Amino acid sequence: MYLDKLFSLEGKVAIVTGGGNGIGKASAIMLAKAGASVAVSDLKLDDAKKVTDEIIEAGGKALAAECNVTEDAHLVSLVDETMKKFGRINFLVNNAGGGGGGKENPFKITVSDFEWRFKLNVFSAWRLSQLCVPHMKKDGTGSIVNISSMSSIMASHNMSAYGSAKAAMNQMTKYLAMDFGPEVRVNAVGPGAIKTDALASVLSPEMEKEMLKGTPLNRLGHPDDIAGAVLYFCSPASQWVSGQILFVNGGGIQSLE
Amino acid sequence: MEIISERLLKHPFSLEGNTTVITGAGGAIGGTTARIFANAGSNVVVSDLNLETANATAEEINKLHPGKAIAVKTDVTKSEDQKILVETVLKKFGKITTLINNVGWGEYTPLLGISKEYMMKSYELNTVSTYELSSLFAPYLKKEQNASILFSGSRVGDTPSPEFLSYSNAKAALFNMIRSMAVAMGPEIRVNMVMIGSVDNGAATLDAGYTQEMLDRLNNSMVMKRRGYPEDIAYAFLYLAAPAARWITGIHLYADGGGTYKSKMPTDD
Repeated sequence: MYLDKLFSLEGKVAIVTGGGNGIGKASAIMLAKAGASVAVSDLKLDDAKKVTDEIIEAGGKALAAECNVTEDAHLVSLVDETMKKFGRINFLVNNAGGGGGGKENPFKITVSDFEWRFKLNVFSAWRLSQLCVPHMKKDGTGSIVNISSMSSIMASHNMSAYGSAKAAMNQMTKYLAMDFGPEVRVNAVGPGAIKTDALASVLSPEMEKEMLKGTPLNRLGHPDDIAGAVLYFCSPASQWVSGQILFVNGGGIQSLE
Repeated sequence: MEIISERLLKHPFSLEGNTTVITGAGGAIGGTTARIFANAGSNVVVSDLNLETANATAEEINKLHPGKAIAVKTDVTKSEDQKILVETVLKKFGKITTLINNVGWGEYTPLLGISKEYMMKSYELNTVSTYELSSLFAPYLKKEQNASILFSGSRVGDTPSPEFLSYSNAKAALFNMIRSMAVAMGPEIRVNMVMIGSVDNGAATLDAGYTQEMLDRLNNSMVMKRRGYPEDIAYAFLYLAAPAARWITGIHLYADGGGTYKSKMPTDD
């Protein structure tokens, strides 16, 4: 009862981008369990719908939205749709993103590919924040959680576009915390390697062992490990915490190199 | 190692079945943390140099949650007291799940002219004692699920703080301690630190040399426009001790009201 109250999001409304799978899905479900109505946006409407079906089946409130976060019109309509259905916005989880994977050879990646990674990982989060914060301020309380990455602080081969985009996201988090406070808090979570269904399907036991060589907690992450941090940053329990980048990574770096 | 899905847990922030030892728990932050941990389901051991305040905190908790709290008088710089603390915890509750090294003390010291004796005393209290207690409790922590050691860090350990040199240096040492311990004590024990911003500790804040005018300036310079409540820090400890944080180790989390718009703490210059 005490904890339910401390971490309650009852009567509040959240938007989770990239909410159809993995970390986004776990976060959407965790926020819904804590009482929030959740707008689950995803590039694939079917994936978003599966998540909202699960939330609604469990007695929660949700809406599914098809959204390409690199399209400004999609972001505007995501916010409009959420306001129309739920009447307010309190939380924004900027989870949609992508790139990396060692596919960013600096001699092969094009300027437009590099730009696209910034558009997908940084500009989308900034623009959606700009659209949501007036609604949050109007409601008197708000929290933005940006899903960053360990790539934002480590270095490895052929990930310079994704890594620097995520580093930009960290710094944007700190600046926006100053701009949007005290009503709206802005924090980021930097996940290590999370054993999502997508990763699990290509991971051999040998590869997993190799990845865990430098990880004190000796396992890969679970999407709920990140969702737990997202709930903490949205809940009243973190009311005096803003501008933070929290690395949830088992204490180390999981790498195949 | 087993991965427990949140869906299988009663509550991602429940401390049901845990036993938590908190040093310096007669004070504002430690005492509030003890109350909140008990509310979240944990047994709590309220350790403090001042048995009177420790007893008061434990009694208050036991009124709400009978049998959940005990008070122990501990001078954390004395090995004899450290041993008594460990023995008392094991005798009363049979185990320890979380150790919160919260004890610490700092005060205004002029940059030049701090005696060697004073520097060593500060280091002994703020740094060495936490190492010793962590070492003593580690074998018992290792036996428990989701065990962790938490530290009270301070903003002054991370920013130039010439007005608190003896204290800020001792707190700065904890940065390496938590990371080294996280590597050596994993996967059984997680080790993390809460970086505590300026919290309203009541009388203790004024004792540390702040004037009301300095405090007003401080409040206004903060992003959240206020100093922290002890609860704000206790909640951060709660999160880091809870199942929700079970893949977090070796990190320091700032609970500091979003920081300040100025890089330097206001002083009476």
